Amino acid sequence: MDFGSFLKAPEIKVKVITYRDIFQDKAMIENRFGDDYRDRSAVIKLDPADLKQLSVKKGDTVVLKNSFGTIVVRAEESGYEPSHRGIAYMPNSPWSNMLVSDETGGTGIPKFKDISATVTSAKGEKVTEIGF
Amino acid sequence: MEKNYYVCTGCGMLCDDIEVESEKNIVNKVHTACRVGVAHMKEGRESAVFRVDDKPVDEATAISEAAAILKNAKNPLIFGLGTSTNETQKLAIELARKTSATLDDTSSFCLGRVVEALLQNKFKVCTLDDVRNKADVTIFWGADPSDSHPRHLSKHSYFPRGTEKQRGWEEERTAIAIDVRKSHTAKICGNYFFQIPPGGDAEFIDALIAGLSGKLPKTSYNFPPKRILELANILKGAKFGVVFVGLGLVYSLENLEPLIRLMDALNEKANFHLIPMVGHYNMRGFNENLFEETGHVNSVKFEDGTVKHGPEYSIVESLKAKTVDAALIIGSDPLSSLPRSVAKNLLEIPVISLDPCETLTSRRAKVYINTAISGVESGGSATRMDGVKVNFKPVVETTRLSDEAVLKKIMEAL
Ligand code: SF4
Repeated sequence: MDFGSFLKAPEIKVKVITYRDIFQDKAMIENRFGDDYRDRSAVIKLDPADLKQLSVKKGDTVVLKNSFGTIVVRAEESGYEPSHRGIAYMPNSPWSNMLVSDETGGTGIPKFKDISATVTSAKGEKVTEIGF
Repeated sequence: MEKNYYVCTGCGMLCDDIEVESEKNIVNKVHTACRVGVAHMKEGRESAVFRVDDKPVDEATAISEAAAILKNAKNPLIFGLGTSTNETQKLAIELARKTSATLDDTSSFCLGRVVEALLQNKFKVCTLDDVRNKADVTIFWGADPSDSHPRHLSKHSYFPRGTEKQRGWEEERTAIAIDVRKSHTAKICGNYFFQIPPGGDAEFIDALIAGLSGKLPKTSYNFPPKRILELANILKGAKFGVVFVGLGLVYSLENLEPLIRLMDALNEKANFHLIPMVGHYNMRGFNENLFEETGHVNSVKFEDGTVKHGPEYSIVESLKAKTVDAALIIGSDPLSSLPRSVAKNLLEIPVISLDPCETLTSRRAKVYINTAISGVESGGSATRMDGVKVNFKPVVETTRLSDEAVLKKIMEAL
């Protein structure tokens, strides 16, 4: 019996900062339904200490969740100095947009760059396919 | 040998020095453009597609179905146009009038506020050519042109030897990045990268204004006052300064008041201009064309010869409140670019999608027409991020209709 499955998987809270990436933009122009665009978009970049706390290795998938949506994306080390625990980075894409609140205070402007979510290991689950 | 230069419509820079090798209307090689520009100019391959309810149809059927949707709608939404020519945008405004539509573009949830303030003369402005020739201090604030406008630094803002900047970046230019993340542009700025916490921009502006007048700059996140004073000193010494405003700054400010105050403070001590980092090649054109017609840059509703304006007529609020009952989306993919929590409401209304490529939106549209790529397969004019008008001709020919031609046909069918 796998006793590990009874233990609650570690979970952390992160603030997600989205950004644009030239390689991802190019991949989108070439084929927005292609593997390259998905691989470059469905990614979250975390502080190495956060990865460790989640018991997740770089390249593994993680589940990002908040009240607006749930997505599975690949976890990477951010490579940023200094340490930024609790802050994570994601290229702007339909994946990050699944976590953006519809709350705008009537301004017409969603909080694209102010996303809070929890992260847990996806235990090998595949990256979310985007579709409606 | 006379050279034939083309314009790249891959981003708001509208680089006009592109050389292309093409054969049989296929672009084989693109010279001078950046990675994004090359991909953009080589994009067109497919033949014309007209689709209704996921089934291929002929042109006439697609056009009459699109016209019927607009005719039957009480309040259709016309949205997009950031990658359309000025000529197409003007037609779309006319179509919006004719169909009593709500008309909006992506600027309502990105840089629209800044362009509006700029058209109302709230900022001192300059062109990218002025920047190349004269700028000695440039600030990239919440902007990362190395990724979003790849040739920005090499063609205009940092590396070139301008007419009055012959000794170039090594001696005569200071580039400053203020951002929440060490972007590629921030790396180029080296020691002049100021990293602030998410949402910390307004406070940083206040601290910087304090620093400019010699007061002790304070922030709740304890940004070292010495560094802010050092920054203020560089800015005070600028002979030709420019602030490039990116989405990072705009999303972090509740309104533009702090930015307007900062620009005024900078201009009391030095000489500072502002340029918005417009992404889509002709978003600024849309803002200017609509402004000329209605006095507003986006989020309008035409009704009985009048124009209403306000955030309630933005795409986000009209989808949230479900006030629109059909949508004509031109060169844009809101199902990708809007929060899913908002975009999903598009699935409840009939959508017409005009786009050169398949997108999430085109796949769920009732009517889809794949148009020519504006700037590659069809020509016209556009307005660069700094307000300069640029004319361009198509690089290759295509059998696909331009979005301008499609709009004309829809208007005739109405
Ligand atoms: S910087 Fe923009 S306009 Fe210039 S080549 Fe690249 S994509 Fe095209």
